[in-house]
Amino acid sequence: MTFREDFVEADGFRIRYLEVGSGPMLIHLHGAGGLRLSRAYDLLAERYRVIAFEMPGFGNSPENTRSTTSPEMAATMAAAVSALGIETFNLWGTSLGAKIALWLAIQAPERVTALVLAAPAAIRPTDAKGPPSGSPEQMARLLYAHPDRMPPLTAPDPAVAAQTRRLVMQLAGPNRDAALEVRMRELETPALAVFGTHDRVIPPELGRCYKQLLPNGYLAFLYDTAHRLDAERPEAFVEIVGDFLARHDAFVIRRTESLILP
Amino acid sequence: MKISYFETGRYIPPPGLPREWPVPPAAYDPATGTAGLQGMADRVRFVEELGFDWVSLSEHHYSPRILTPNPIVAAAWLAPQLRRIKIALLGPLVPVNNPIRIAEELAMLDTLAPGRMVFGLLRGTTNEYLSYDLNPGESRARTDEGMELILRAWAEPQPFSWQGRYFQYRTVSIWPHLQDPPPPTYILGTSAEAGDFAARHRLGLGLSYGNFDGMAKATQHYRAQCAEWGWQPGPDSIVYRVNMILGETDDAADAALARRDKQAPFAVRAGLRDALQQADTTRNVAGQRYAAHVGGHVLPIGFCGGPDRVVEQIRRCRDVVGAGVLDISLADPGTGDTDAMMQALDLFGRKVLPRVRDI
Repeated sequence: MTFREDFVEADGFRIRYLEVGSGPMLIHLHGAGGLRLSRAYDLLAERYRVIAFEMPGFGNSPENTRSTTSPEMAATMAAAVSALGIETFNLWGTSLGAKIALWLAIQAPERVTALVLAAPAAIRPTDAKGPPSGSPEQMARLLYAHPDRMPPLTAPDPAVAAQTRRLVMQLAGPNRDAALEVRMRELETPALAVFGTHDRVIPPELGRCYKQLLPNGYLAFLYDTAHRLDAERPEAFVEIVGDFLARHDAFVIRRTESLILP
Repeated sequence: MKISYFETGRYIPPPGLPREWPVPPAAYDPATGTAGLQGMADRVRFVEELGFDWVSLSEHHYSPRILTPNPIVAAAWLAPQLRRIKIALLGPLVPVNNPIRIAEELAMLDTLAPGRMVFGLLRGTTNEYLSYDLNPGESRARTDEGMELILRAWAEPQPFSWQGRYFQYRTVSIWPHLQDPPPPTYILGTSAEAGDFAARHRLGLGLSYGNFDGMAKATQHYRAQCAEWGWQPGPDSIVYRVNMILGETDDAADAALARRDKQAPFAVRAGLRDALQQADTTRNVAGQRYAAHVGGHVLPIGFCGGPDRVVEQIRRCRDVVGAGVLDISLADPGTGDTDAMMQALDLFGRKVLPRVRDI
């Protein structure tokens, strides 16, 4: 698949995005490490029109000192989607992007058809110290269940990394965000939280919190993946996410046939 | 040292029984089967009175050698007939079964007999995969994933979906759940993968039949992995299933060893054996490869002697292997004289068990 790169003006920012595929709208918000594509985007693009934003302040965009909270960033990203002429959409947030996606759905529930929270960082261990950092090798061991099976990570530009880290610390907020959790209890949007069974950044045991808090929430474990679960098992990730986006509650009903021979 | 008795159902084969696996059901005698299975209760009550700590049960298929294709059924039948002894499922075969079903049934057992169960999760020997039509080349990966799923099903307080490689469930939410605390649970196997898995999940490790030095490699690997994960296993964390010949004297035991049937009971035919070994190339002890066991081979005797010599062998086993639970067979499963086995159990209970408690 060929991604089309473009920019959109919204909320005073010039926001980069990548677009691919056709079908129902699927907006993606990335995690603290910035926009990193995986094969999952290609697979989803076979069924969806996928727009992956690079949130202002990440990547090579200018430093963002205006977005000081997740709700503020969520409002900015909702404006960016509007600026593209898109009214309603499915929303997929990864890690920190899942927290912003949750706020966006809380702020504009009528616009979000369904929500996918991949390795979400909206609820973190009470002793979590902030986003992980380290050499590419250390990060690979942290982010992947099987780093040996994945292409090597590259070290980010130190200046960009420092700038991003400041922004991430602001957007992340407290490890347990009481204001968010109160609002999650009222969010009727169908939501699927997907956790890697081997995630050491956001422990999969936190998945149960989303199931408890979200009235229409579902919890799924993606076996043998860590924090970058969509990159490690893209087919498995897309199979369950795509099914959930298409069928919401009914995604729990098996449709594949088990007939071996007629 | 804790001592466990391995109960096998004791189907005493009449002369002329076909010896090739799978054994034709036409050769099955209902009265012998009933006597073997119902006799479990008498045998286990006997070892319970002797002071044994556990009785163990295992899953095996399609032959009279071990007559418990579902050890969970056997455990459910035994539990109300026993008072104190723990019942160890060593274990259900994970790769050939539905992991959710295993999680549910073990939780049910734990609920029926709280505090009385010990669980082991087993990959099984390669021939077992023929029973439920599993590709042997997938057994390692199916076992790892199935074990992960069973533990997750036991741990999760909320319904969840499982998106695996070999197992896929959109709704898992098991009832009943395990007691608190849950039963001691073991990962069974000598492989590096088994040791890694057990260490990562802070579970025990179960070994079987290998010699002391090989088993020591497996337990050293396991302990090193436990240290990597920041914990130290205790004495009860390693269980070791062994064959034992115990006589009144060393000479009597040695004579019994010399008389032992050297022919493998219920072996698969040679061509099938070779094909199975070629199909399963992942067998290892702590990472060191070996040819897959395909069942029916003559299991090694780990301990042989009169009470004094066996006590010393158990002491050495503790030192070398580090096992804190010894799961013993005093007769080859599916063969031999049950009365002689009961006499050996009695001798063990009187002359050995009191002397190994402090080991």
